Amino acid sequence: MSSVVVESIGFGIVDASIISIGAMGFSLQFGLTNVFNIAYGTVLTLGAFAAYLAEQWGVVGWYDVLIGAGVGVIATWLIGKGILATFARRNLGLFELITVSLAVELVVQYSVDAADGEQLFSYSFDQGRALRFLGMVFTVTEVEIIGVAVGAFVLLECLLRLTRTGKALRAVAEEPRLARACGIPTSRIVNVAWVLSGALAGVAGVVYIINSLTVSAFTGTDFLPLLLAAAILGRAGSVTGAVVASLAIGIATQLVAAVGGTGYSTIAGFGILVLVLLARPGGVTSGLALKTEVTL
Amino acid sequence: MSFSSLDFYLATVVVIFGVDVLSAWGLNLQYGYAGIPNFSFIVFQAAGAYTAAILTLGPMTATSGQTYVAGTHVPFPVALLAAMAAGAALSAVIGVFAMKRMRADYQAAILLILALILNQFIVTDTSLFNGTSGLANVSRPLGSLVNPSTTGWQWAYAALVWAICAVVLFAVQRLSRSSWGRALRAQRDHDAAAAALGCNVVALKMQVFVIGGAIAGLSGGLLVFYLQAFNTASWGYEETLAIFVSILIGGVANNWGVILGTFLVQIVFVEVPNLLPQFGYIGLVDALEWVVIGLLWMAAIALRPQGVIPERRVRAERFGLPALRRAPPVAAAAAAPGQQGAHEERLGAAGGASRR
Repeated sequence: MSSVVVESIGFGIVDASIISIGAMGFSLQFGLTNVFNIAYGTVLTLGAFAAYLAEQWGVVGWYDVLIGAGVGVIATWLIGKGILATFARRNLGLFELITVSLAVELVVQYSVDAADGEQLFSYSFDQGRALRFLGMVFTVTEVEIIGVAVGAFVLLECLLRLTRTGKALRAVAEEPRLARACGIPTSRIVNVAWVLSGALAGVAGVVYIINSLTVSAFTGTDFLPLLLAAAILGRAGSVTGAVVASLAIGIATQLVAAVGGTGYSTIAGFGILVLVLLARPGGVTSGLALKTEVTL
Repeated sequence: MSFSSLDFYLATVVVIFGVDVLSAWGLNLQYGYAGIPNFSFIVFQAAGAYTAAILTLGPMTATSGQTYVAGTHVPFPVALLAAMAAGAALSAVIGVFAMKRMRADYQAAILLILALILNQFIVTDTSLFNGTSGLANVSRPLGSLVNPSTTGWQWAYAALVWAICAVVLFAVQRLSRSSWGRALRAQRDHDAAAAALGCNVVALKMQVFVIGGAIAGLSGGLLVFYLQAFNTASWGYEETLAIFVSILIGGVANNWGVILGTFLVQIVFVEVPNLLPQFGYIGLVDALEWVVIGLLWMAAIALRPQGVIPERRVRAERFGLPALRRAPPVAAAAAAPGQQGAHEERLGAAGGASRR
């Protein structure tokens, strides 16, 4: 039994790496803009499809991650600056913006579905030999995925802690109006957040299919609740929080999968998000302290 | 297309239209009048449908080829009432934690994820309602009156569905015009002000959530007796979005507008494409339909968020409250100096009182 638990923790760490890449991006985006952007999931799908197409054209291996990141930036820019910002200018409330992002998700997801003929595509990636570590089993590729996540985390933390842009990002996430009053060019900083989160979403999509080796139009949408749970559990805007929450969620869902099967692990992941949204101090408030302003 | 198949198709469209209008009224009560972003609405329809199905399928046997719980035989009206009760009961359970005061987008996300969870749960645990294959062979009710395999039965059922629609329309209109409905709209427009005036906002939301859930359950029951089958693909979260778009296009908080919206979205955009000659692979038309629904949604919010037929302004006099209309100009001018004087006098008296 205990070996099963240890192995599940190993699988959970791999899952957590993939979740954390996406969650860091969503956390930045949500922390800065305050828009609950459900269309984030389709950016993952587009990144994954970009990697699949790149592979078909002969670009294989880790170059696909860069292509995915590029596609993620473009898709996020179009969705964020092209659509959500246009709607936000009409003084819509938080609920209207979540519905718009849901509609965008519906349109993109089913456009991909219509274009690809509702198929599940398989992607090939050499997983390498199995390595054993403290009773957990990892393939070489899985270790590299963990490396990508750690690398993304370290780079992002350095950016946030050591540069002026990073300082401005944290300031806008904390208190947008005060940041603007202090002379921080809020809209430019929000643009930085869109680009960073788009790149992270694209990378998360590619890493997801490197691990699962399949992609369909619904890949990102199915994976989205776990990202949202990690980003909000770790407090929106906090990259470290997103990573820690991803670890908790990745390991918890894998433990449930070991006990009750994969169907229940999905349910557990979604359930964590519901609990997080219900319990989050910023989520449930007594009324007046609602942060309802949108920065786009 | 021969005449009999057209007749069959028309009757089907009329029944589906009725069921969709019914569910749209339920959601309109919750979203239009009360402002609850219920993205899990379709779950309550499913609860009604599954309940009605298992209550008429009879006990599960080895030869029935499907697994489900609590199979019995009850009369048709009892099954419909049970479907309503199931929708209301599930709403009450979910409402206990989802109707708290919270950010509107968090509430929407919670309800959306709940729809995904419950669907996934029924897919995973096949012992409840037979998983993805779903329940089939639900027998058509009222077979003793009309032969169930004729289009005559279909038209009779369509008449029954629309008769129930008429009753529900009367009920929702009465509810929305009652003082309860007025409180509902007050908390939708400004919940802090409504709470200050003594409305129990959480209780109001809970009540309308349960009533809407009962209407959803009823629509599910009516649907399953017509389709005779129901599975997890019938209630994906996207179905709720289609109902939302119907309301947004027809008219938020306007039950007549909702009929128009449901006709435009569910009939013109969802049902009519099934009549067109099939093109592409199987499923292409369905995928494109959802693309169109998404685009319609964005267009509705961008161009006319109040809908084609907007909510009617409710005037205070209709409720026997003092009219808030301004006095006619001449009378006002004549009365103004005196009134002003009186006002100042009162102010002065009050000031004097406080000085003393």
